[in-house]
Amino acid sequence: MLQVTNIEKYYGNGGSVTKALNRVSFRVEDGEFIAIMGASGSGKTTLLNCISTIDTVSAGQICLDGIDISTLSSAKLARFRREKLGFVFQDFNLLDTLTIEENIGLALSLTHTDPGSVQKKVQDVAQKLGITDILPKFPYQVSGGQKQRAACARAMVAGQSLLLADEPTGALDSRASKNLLEIMTQMNQAMHATILMVTHDAYSASYASRILFLKDGRLFNELIRGGRDRSVFYHEILDVLALLGGDISDVI
Amino acid sequence: MTLSKLSLRNARRQTGDYLVYFVTVTITAALLYACNGLIFSSEVQKLSSMLRTLPLVIVLASIVVVCIIGWLVQYTTGFMFTKRSREFGTYILIGLENGQVARLFFLENLIVGTFAFTLGILLGNLVFQTLRAILLALFGIPYTFAFTFSCKATALTLVYFVLIYLLAQLRSRRRIRSMKIYDLIYYDRLNENAVLTKSGRRKKIFSASLVFGAIGTLLLLERSLPAGILGSACIIVFLYGFFLSFSSGVPAWFDRHTARKYQGQNLLIFRTLSAKLNTMGIVMATIALLFTAVLISQGTGLLFGAIFESRRSAEACYDIFIGTDSPDQDCGDYIAYIESSVPVAAAHSYSIYQGPDAHITDYLEANTDYYPCYSYDTWMKFSDYAALRSMLGYPAVTMTSGEYLIHCVPYQKSAVAACAQPITTDGATLRPGSIHTENLNQKLWNTNGTDFILVLPDEAVAARPVSHNLYAAMTKEPVSAKQHEALCRIRDGRNLHIAGYTTGYTTIYTAPQVREEYASWTAMTILPLYYLALVLTMTAATILTIQQLSETDRYRRQFLLLKKLGMDQREMNRALRLQFTIYYAMPAIPPLFVSIPFLLNLCNATDPGVTEGFYRPLNIICITLTLFCMIYAVYIVMAYRSLKRNVLPWN
Repeated sequence: MLQVTNIEKYYGNGGSVTKALNRVSFRVEDGEFIAIMGASGSGKTTLLNCISTIDTVSAGQICLDGIDISTLSSAKLARFRREKLGFVFQDFNLLDTLTIEENIGLALSLTHTDPGSVQKKVQDVAQKLGITDILPKFPYQVSGGQKQRAACARAMVAGQSLLLADEPTGALDSRASKNLLEIMTQMNQAMHATILMVTHDAYSASYASRILFLKDGRLFNELIRGGRDRSVFYHEILDVLALLGGDISDVI
Repeated sequence: MTLSKLSLRNARRQTGDYLVYFVTVTITAALLYACNGLIFSSEVQKLSSMLRTLPLVIVLASIVVVCIIGWLVQYTTGFMFTKRSREFGTYILIGLENGQVARLFFLENLIVGTFAFTLGILLGNLVFQTLRAILLALFGIPYTFAFTFSCKATALTLVYFVLIYLLAQLRSRRRIRSMKIYDLIYYDRLNENAVLTKSGRRKKIFSASLVFGAIGTLLLLERSLPAGILGSACIIVFLYGFFLSFSSGVPAWFDRHTARKYQGQNLLIFRTLSAKLNTMGIVMATIALLFTAVLISQGTGLLFGAIFESRRSAEACYDIFIGTDSPDQDCGDYIAYIESSVPVAAAHSYSIYQGPDAHITDYLEANTDYYPCYSYDTWMKFSDYAALRSMLGYPAVTMTSGEYLIHCVPYQKSAVAACAQPITTDGATLRPGSIHTENLNQKLWNTNGTDFILVLPDEAVAARPVSHNLYAAMTKEPVSAKQHEALCRIRDGRNLHIAGYTTGYTTIYTAPQVREEYASWTAMTILPLYYLALVLTMTAATILTIQQLSETDRYRRQFLLLKKLGMDQREMNRALRLQFTIYYAMPAIPPLFVSIPFLLNLCNATDPGVTEGFYRPLNIICITLTLFCMIYAVYIVMAYRSLKRNVLPWN
C-alpha cells in the first residue's frame, strides 16, 4: 500500500542545514497498524507530514497505492488527501462550529459524496465507533476521548485507505487513551483500516502490529509484534527505547 | 519602562490592530469639525437669512453622531478589553496594581483618541472646503479656495470627542479596577451569552419575526402617521427577532433538509454564520437597524433633492412671476415698481380665463393624483401663450384653424390627451390640437392653470370671465433680495396676505429668491441626512469588520484543517469568499426589504410629477443603494484583503 524509498528532508540553507530525515525507507502493507516512535526531534512528525503530503520531501519517493505523491500537482494532492488519507491529530482538530455529525460529514462533503447519503454513512461509522449518541452535540459538549473517536470516524468515513494519526492519545487521560487505542485496533482488525501512528508513548505503540523507531532522522530499529502478548510487546518497546537513549519521560 | 511609554507602545499597536476603527473615528472627527465649521462660518451665515436654523440642525445631527460614535468607541473598547484581558491580568500578576492597569488602558485609548482627533481636524479642513464648495454651488456662487481654521469649530469638536471618549473609558476603567487576576486571565475564555438559549423558543421567534417584518413593511406603506409608527415598531421587532433567532431557525431548516446541508460548502458556511449570529445577534440586529436608517436617510435625501429641484425649476421659470388669485386683483402696482427699478428684458401681463366646464379637471381628479385648485378648466389666449413661449425661448407654435392647444406638465400629458374633447364656443367647434409640456409654471394656485391649460384663439377666450391676472418677466440682471423684498412689501401693503390661502393673496416668485430658498432647504435637510447616513454606515461597517478580523485566528485554524483534509485551494477561496459575502450581506439584506418599499411609497407621496413613472423611483433606489454600497464596499474590501492574506497565506 505505502512504499517509502530513501526519503530525505532538509530544512534551512547554506551553512545551517538541518537534516530531519535521512534516507528513510520502509513499506506498509494493506491492513497493517504501524507505530512510529522516537524521541523529540527524531523526525517522526516530519515523516508523517511528508507521507500526508502536508510537507514535501527533499529527495526520495513516497508511493501510495502505486501513486508517487511527489509528482502530483497541488490540486491533485488535495484530491489525493481527501480521497486516500484520513487524519487524527493530537488536539482533535474538530471544527467547533459544527456538530460531531457534521464534523464527520464534512469529510464526505469534501469528496462531493451524494449529499443524500451523507447522513447514513455518518450514522454507520458512528455506530461502529460507539459515538451515535453524541452525533448531535458540539465538540465542546463531549469529552476528549469522544472527540478523538469522532476524529477517527471523520478519518475513515469517506473510505480513505490510510489513517495517519499524530500523537492521537497525547491529549487524553489514560482511560480515554485505552478506549481510543482499542477502537483503533478494532478499526484495523474489523474494518481492515491501515493505520500509521506517530507516538512517543510506549503504551500506545504496544497496540500496533509493527513499530518503526526513528533516531536523528534515520530508521534505527523495527519491532514486530507477531503473535506475542501486548504486555510482552510493551516491555520490548521499553527495552528498545532505553537502547535508543530517548528521554526517561518518554519511556516511563 | 514607564507606564506612559508602555501606553504609547500599546496605542501604536492598537492603531495597527484596529486600523479600521481608527480610520472611522478619524473620519468622524473630520466630519464633526467640517460641520462645526459651517456653524461658525460667517460666509455661510451670509449666504441666506433662511440658513439661520442651519446651526441648530447641524448640532442636532452632531448629537446623534456623538451618540452613535460613542456606542462604537464603547463597543470597540469593550471588545479590545475582552481580547486583551489576559494581558491585563499578566500586568497585575507581575506586580502592577489594578488602578495602574486601568490608567494604562485609559492612557492608551486617550492617545489613540487624541491622534484620531488631531488627524481628523487636519482632514476636517479639507472636508470643510468640500462642504463649503457644495453650499456655494447650491447658491450659485463661484467657489474659490480660502484656507480657514476655526478655533471655535475645533473647540466644539473637542467637546464632542471628550464626551465620546470619557463615557466609554470610564466604564472600562471601573471594570478593570473591580476585576481579579483570575477573572482577567480567563475573561477571554468566557463564552458570550446567547440571548435565546432554548431552541424551540428561538424557532417560534424566528417565524414570528418574519410575520412582524411583513406586517411592519405593509404598515410603512400606509400613508398615515399611526401606521408608520406602528410599522417602525414592527420592523424593530422583526430585526431583533430575526437576528436573535436566525442561529436556530436556519440550522433547524437544514436539519430537516440534510441533503442540502451537505451539498457543496453549505455546511461550513451556514454553521460559521449561525455560530457568529448566536453570539452577536443583538449587534447584528442593531447594525441592520442602522442600515435601514442609512438607506431611508439617503433615499429621503435624494427624494427631497428631486422635490426641491422640481419646485425650483417650476417656480424659477421666469425671472419675475406675479400671480393674483382673483379677477379683481391686478398687477399694476407691481409692474409700476418693476418698470421703475428692475431692468427688464421682456415682460408680459395677461389673464387666465374660466372655461365653461371642468371636463379635464374632473377627469384628472378622478383618474390621477391631481389636486384641483379651480372648479373649471382654465383657458388662455393664444397671443398670451405665444408671448410667454417667446419670452422663455421655446420654439414658436402655430394653431391650426378649428383646433385648440393644450399646455400641461409632462406627467399629465397622457391623461390630458385621453380626456381632451372638442370644445364648442360661440357656435364654433374646436378640436384638441397639439399638446406641449415645456415648463410654464403650472403649480397649484395663481399660475398658468393647475397642471394644464387650454390655449384657444383670442376671440374664443375674450368672452369668458377672467379667473386671475398674471405678470411674467425676464430681467437683464438677477433680481436682488432688496427688489424681491420691495415686491413683497407691495403685497403687504395690500393687506390681503393674512393666512396662506386667503383671497387676495398674490404669489410672487423671483428666480434668485426661489433658488436661495431651495438651496437653504437642501442645506438644512439633505446635508444632515447624508451626514448621518455616512456616519451610520461607517459605524456599522467598522463593528462588522472588527468582529470579522477578530476571528482571523479561528478562520486560519479552520482552513488549515480543511487543507489537511484535502479541500481544494479554489474551494477554500470560494468558501472564504462566500462566508465573507454572506456575513456582510446578512445585516444589509433585511433593511432592503424594509427601506425599498418605504422609499417607493415615499416617492408616491411626494409632489405629483416628481417621481412619476417607473424610472424615477428606480433611479432614486439605485443611487441610494450605490451610495451605500460604495462606502460599505471600502470596508468590505479592506477586511477581505486582510483576512485572505492572514487566513489563506499559502495562496
